[in-house]
Amino acid sequence: MSDKIQISLLRTLLLRTQHKSRLWAALAALTIGTTLLLLSVMIWWSFSELLYGKKQNDAMGSTYLVVGKRVTEQNMGQKNATIFTAQDIDSLGHAAQVQDVGVITSNHFPVYAMMGGRLAFATDLPLECVPDNFIDKMPAEWKWEPGNLNLPIIVSSQFLDIYNYVFAPSQGLPQLSEGSVKSLALNLKVGEGDRAETFSAHVVGFSDRIGSVLAPKSFIDYGNQKFGKAGVAEAPSQLIIKAKDPSDTKFGDYLVRHDYTTNSQNLRWSKIRAIVEVVTTATGILALLLMGIGTLVFILFIELTIARAQHALTLLLQIGYGPHYLSRFMIQRFLPIVLGTVIFSMAITIAGQAAASIAAQGQGLVLPMFPGWPVWAALVISTGILVLLVTKSISGAIKK
Amino acid sequence: MQLSLQGIIPVPLAEKVNAYQSGMWKNNRTFNKGEYVFIQAPSGTGKTTLIHILYGLRKDYTGDAKWNNISLANTDNETLAGLRTNSVSVIFQDLRLFPELTAWENVDLKRRLTNTVSEQQANEWLTRLGLNEKKNSMGATLSYGEQQRVAIVRALVQPFEWLLMDEPFSHLDHANTQKAINLIGEVVKQHGAGMILADLDENNFFAYTQTVIL
Repeated sequence: MSDKIQISLLRTLLLRTQHKSRLWAALAALTIGTTLLLLSVMIWWSFSELLYGKKQNDAMGSTYLVVGKRVTEQNMGQKNATIFTAQDIDSLGHAAQVQDVGVITSNHFPVYAMMGGRLAFATDLPLECVPDNFIDKMPAEWKWEPGNLNLPIIVSSQFLDIYNYVFAPSQGLPQLSEGSVKSLALNLKVGEGDRAETFSAHVVGFSDRIGSVLAPKSFIDYGNQKFGKAGVAEAPSQLIIKAKDPSDTKFGDYLVRHDYTTNSQNLRWSKIRAIVEVVTTATGILALLLMGIGTLVFILFIELTIARAQHALTLLLQIGYGPHYLSRFMIQRFLPIVLGTVIFSMAITIAGQAAASIAAQGQGLVLPMFPGWPVWAALVISTGILVLLVTKSISGAIKK
Repeated sequence: MQLSLQGIIPVPLAEKVNAYQSGMWKNNRTFNKGEYVFIQAPSGTGKTTLIHILYGLRKDYTGDAKWNNISLANTDNETLAGLRTNSVSVIFQDLRLFPELTAWENVDLKRRLTNTVSEQQANEWLTRLGLNEKKNSMGATLSYGEQQRVAIVRALVQPFEWLLMDEPFSHLDHANTQKAINLIGEVVKQHGAGMILADLDENNFFAYTQTVIL
């Protein structure tokens, strides 16, 4: 249908009764519905990307759990009963939801911590180390070499909380901020007798993942080698794992089956994930409903336009214009409007994704600048359904 | 293209058809391309009904009407559109012009369906029927006689094997009727087409006809 004059005449006959205000209202309904649908898919996908994606969003997405073998009355006192073998570690690495497994190595040598002044105390201090990629935030000072008398340590955030909210108030001691704790020096006596060495330890960071005191692996290895007690097993009794979704029942079943214990409070991200999924699903359903209403309004507008042009349509059919020809004419008028609406909605979604990506960057998270495949799939499917409904309704109305 | 009628009785006119013994109804007849047929009958006996049946606008009849092998009672709109575009043209009694289009646009809209008649030729035909100065007038503002002449030209600007006419000169004076008859005669002859004219009385067209149905 390339004859411009013919198109202009048909336009005069069939579309002159179109109400501009109704067209805008129908377009607004369709645009709002489509945009909300695409945005809800985009939000859902962005959260999935943050929670489960391959980007470096570990703090947000993965849960770190410390796993140990349960101490029972049966294995209590048995040598190596709670030790993880290489086979155990490999098996855990292949369990559902597990992304990475790290060995927690503890000291097999005596460590004695002392501090003078108003906060004076002296205590045996267990130390542990984990692979660097399991540390929450890697401090710049996190390195140690033999011969270095300054030792960086990371302590559990829980220690500071217990001190500030339990111990200090009860003993009349001052509460301490993270910064003030980092400024304190702790004397560590490592080893026994004449071979003992003294180090000046500084807290360089706090960990939400580990419930103990961490030292660099090089220091633990040095100490175990130099001061370690002969015959003490070197195999780990605790592992740290990075899990995608520890709330997965398959993962839970695995732990129960192997009689492993873990710190269940670390499942908090799973709860957040569940909330996000509920919210995005609800938004998606609402958006789907709105898009349905928008599509219905737009189709009713098309049918109303055709109904108002009924007399002209009948005459056109009587002088030889076929139903297919007239359907094609109407479809060619309305389809670009539908596609324009969808493109506009997609442009808003792309802008939304870019804004979310920039906002995520500000939070130290990584989110792609362009929407992912689910958004494009939603675009293709919704466009396909829209095109199908519009063409069907036009053909049906003209046929009638 | 052959037209065959097999005992047609329009359902709403069944009683009237039985009372009025017309050659139009109930008979089996065949008309061949190039044949000129004049149906002369008084008002209310179903001339327009027959034209509408032959053009595929009505299906409320018993019997059968066929263009070649196409039975009109069972034909879909797409097939009918093909017939109306390339084989069968019509001048309606009530003209059926678009009031919101000009005289020329009414003709041109039909002409552009097939583009078998040039713009110049269509213009010339309008001029021959005395519509040169009315070409750009809206259909709604034309007199019935002017509209009738526009409808005649519109029926001619397409290829056809049969031309159906339902009282096409009812509002034309003698001179304009003669002009219209001459134009229709020329174009029909060019196409080698057949004609079916339904009218109340004999007119000059009667001289052309080979078959008269009373």
